[in-house]
Amino acid sequence: MIKPESIEDLETFLALAYLLEIESSDRYTELADNMQVHNDPEVEQLFRKLSEYSGKHASEIIEHAEGMVLPNVASWDFEWQSPEGPETTAFEFVEYQITPVKVLQLALHNEIRGHDFYAHIAEQSPSEEIRKLATEFTDEESEHVELLKNWIAEMEQNKGNTRDDMDPPNMPE
Amino acid sequence: MTNLAKAKSYKSDIKPIWCPGCGDFAVLSALTKAFAFLDLAKQDLAVISGIGCSSRLPAYFSSYGFHGIHGRALPIASGLKLARPELTVIASGGDGDGFSIGGNHFIHACRRNLDMTYIVMDNEVYGMTKGQASPTTQPDWASSKLTPHGTGVRPFQPAAIALASGASFIARAFSGDPNGMTKLIIAAIQHPGFSFIQVLSPCPTFRPEQKLWKHQVEAFPHEPTDDPVKAATRLYTDDGMSSGLIFQSNYPTWNKPEVAQTSVKQFEEEFVV
Repeated sequence: MIKPESIEDLETFLALAYLLEIESSDRYTELADNMQVHNDPEVEQLFRKLSEYSGKHASEIIEHAEGMVLPNVASWDFEWQSPEGPETTAFEFVEYQITPVKVLQLALHNEIRGHDFYAHIAEQSPSEEIRKLATEFTDEESEHVELLKNWIAEMEQNKGNTRDDMDPPNMPE
Repeated sequence: MTNLAKAKSYKSDIKPIWCPGCGDFAVLSALTKAFAFLDLAKQDLAVISGIGCSSRLPAYFSSYGFHGIHGRALPIASGLKLARPELTVIASGGDGDGFSIGGNHFIHACRRNLDMTYIVMDNEVYGMTKGQASPTTQPDWASSKLTPHGTGVRPFQPAAIALASGASFIARAFSGDPNGMTKLIIAAIQHPGFSFIQVLSPCPTFRPEQKLWKHQVEAFPHEPTDDPVKAATRLYTDDGMSSGLIFQSNYPTWNKPEVAQTSVKQFEEEFVV
């Protein structure tokens, strides 16, 4: 298992950063699809928006990697503080009564983990080039954290954060 | 760049209808990542299942697949592997489908040791029929109206039975550890023989208490062994909540004879009344 902070070459670091964003984006899409099937368009659209944002970040990383050949990396080759990459939402965190506020709280949780991940690399990496880029990514993640905090505050004012189901699906027969 | 970027290309346009939070999502995701990592051609890949929530799996892939009948994922998968040995064959399903309705097929598929992978998403409940006790349910689980005092029956021990029956690759994965599960699936597909993975896959709807599994599942404290006695000892001293590769051996696989032993004409003659 490779410790992400021990990566020495920029190509591997960018490949990993790209992988994290793609995994995050794909997971949001999977969750959006699931909520579409369960007829919750509001939560579905929120997950789709989050997927789009992660996809844009992945594209930005590709721009950083222009002219480079990125290696093939796999998430399971790296040592994480979480079961998957720091910005990937675990399936288990989502339930059928999830509220839009809770969706954004999950996204905030991911962005904070992403921030901490890059901040750690910015401190620990043996490569000055990687430290510089990781600092840039850390700053970007800080912006995302602030944006999400504001978004959550605004949504909490306008909507509640609980849902009731008078006919729950888990009534055993 | 990364093979994993194409993992989603193994998915079909059909969206899973599993309940939000279901462990089976992680299995679907891990399988697509494993296929992408191994760079498997879709036309050389088939996912076969029986009946149940988890048996919906083949519909969610863009490869070949067959959503079979209850408990019969393994006979169908075995037939396919014998007829088309060059294919990568994945059989899948749940604990009820695999260990109850298909229990006898499970034993004999392990014994034949055909080169294929069998993934059982074990949530200790029949979810699709709204929450009845399955073969792996604990005897005191009393949340179903059918068994208001629990089943009172010892649960089926999938890994131990696979070992006793002759499976040559036995592992337990947890849907809450998707990366660990992906690594096991890759190793299982690469293993030349019958690979069995029991995936602890919580059912958030009918077994919400299984959400606690993430605090209970731990990695096996041992390296995998090729010694069935050691593996059996470990399995019998384990609480069923350890994950990782347990046993891997190089038992010979059973293959289709290269030369047909009976001609079509001989077959026809045998059926003449």
